[in-house]
Amino acid sequence: MSMIKTNNARPVLGTLAVLGYIIMIVPILFVVSTAFSTGRTVSFPPKGFTLDWFGAALGNNTFMSSLGQSLQLALIATVIALAIGVPATIAMHRGKIPGKSLVQGLFLSPLVVPELVVGLALYQQIMVVLGQSNSIALLIGHTAILLPYAVRVTGASLALADPAIEEAARGLGASPLRAFFTVTLPLLRPGIFSAALLSFVTSFNNVPLSLLLQDRSFRTLPVTMLDYIQQNYDPTIAAMSTLLLAATVVVAIIAERTVGFAKIFGGINK
Amino acid sequence: MSRKPAWLLLPGLVFILLGFAIPSVAMLIAPPGVSTGDVFARLGQMLTDPYSLGIIGRTLGLGLITTATCLVLGFPIAYLLARSTSRFAGMWLALAIFPLLLSNVVRTFGWIVLLGSQGAIGQLITGLGLASEAPQLLYTELAVVLGMTQLFLPLAIISCYSAVAQVDPGLDDAARGLGASRTRTLWTVVLPLSAPGLVVATTLVFAGAATAYTTPYLLGGSSQRMLATELYNYSNVTVDWASASATALIMTLLVFLVSGLSSLLSRGKSVQS
Repeated sequence: MSMIKTNNARPVLGTLAVLGYIIMIVPILFVVSTAFSTGRTVSFPPKGFTLDWFGAALGNNTFMSSLGQSLQLALIATVIALAIGVPATIAMHRGKIPGKSLVQGLFLSPLVVPELVVGLALYQQIMVVLGQSNSIALLIGHTAILLPYAVRVTGASLALADPAIEEAARGLGASPLRAFFTVTLPLLRPGIFSAALLSFVTSFNNVPLSLLLQDRSFRTLPVTMLDYIQQNYDPTIAAMSTLLLAATVVVAIIAERTVGFAKIFGGINK
Repeated sequence: MSRKPAWLLLPGLVFILLGFAIPSVAMLIAPPGVSTGDVFARLGQMLTDPYSLGIIGRTLGLGLITTATCLVLGFPIAYLLARSTSRFAGMWLALAIFPLLLSNVVRTFGWIVLLGSQGAIGQLITGLGLASEAPQLLYTELAVVLGMTQLFLPLAIISCYSAVAQVDPGLDDAARGLGASRTRTLWTVVLPLSAPGLVVATTLVFAGAATAYTTPYLLGGSSQRMLATELYNYSNVTVDWASASATALIMTLLVFLVSGLSSLLSRGKSVQS
């Protein structure tokens, strides 16, 4: 097998890398430029400069009420996922559990099944068969898809924490509960924080579950925006998107300053 | 050693079983008002009728093209960043990961701005006199592949990055010292040793692309139907439970199939070498 004997790998790699960054970033920049355009439809080049579309987005009741519902859902689902996920992770890592890998697999299983399929299952079985409201189904679904993050990310930082430290605390006379709260939990804090951040963002941005489980009374922001894009062609949606972008940048800066970006996302692929 | 009691697992276990596992199985064997037989009869029908086969084929095809594109663009980014000594490398890595935090809807909407009839690319083409009329870009396969590449490229970059970072740069130097060109070193040393990362990237990107709803819905329109948009229509528009459950099963199997094949393929490779 003859390989081309050149030292020209860098230019080729560089070109592909630049193309990759263009595909990832440029469309986002166009959304932002559209948000400030005075044109009545989404068009290029943007005409003039106005902040009116931001007013329109913030004054849009449908956007604002679904924003509130999205935030609420993401917050509650994150809290529940951590409240049941963190103890489970501790038990899996530090306890003696029969069929441990099976249990672990079960906790990670929502990551393997497509989210639309989870959404369909919950729509059929919880809403149609059991007659529950869509907010209950949404809360169950969002919590289920967040659990694997809670288990994996806190698991990764638990694996780094030395169990001997907790034993030392016990040896010095601390009760199991006290040893846990004063020694183990602080060690887990970065992991729990990463899991919480990742969970909140994942739930807030989720489309597949929120789409299948939507209802007039409770609809999340991404689903509302999807609908709006399909029916309207004005820059209000670009303004709303720009506001979300700004909020996401803030979240990213917080993530980078506290635990570091790469660490948070490194947890997903381990 | 202090053992943690197993009951700490209980709430999570009950939740996963009641809120996820049981509904998922029940969806297949007992959709409301339909029998298990109906679901599997519909499944058999879908695997033979040209309309559904077309949808499955498009989902598989566009999913694979997107996966290939993400690997071809993502691996170079991961490789250059992992081997970079620049102090800006961290910033570039963060820029590649950042889009994962941003809503898919926002990211996909950008392509409407770029590819729409009044969009930047169409304006550029007519402005340069390359065509008298802006070509139809939105609602094409190209639009869907671009949109999905944008969404899933960060996943490919992260998986490849952690794999390349684990390959000792000393091996690159050794191969180069023995006279291999940079290209050859990349193909015969770095790439085979990063195979596990490529498998993870393939699995994640294909799973995302084959089940993505936002992209085919916004950028594919009615001419580029995929399994995800069909599933939504069966479930929430026509309320055809047998078809919805059958589509869900096909979608899940497709994802399992590709992820299984890609890890088999890499295992075969590493045995050979």
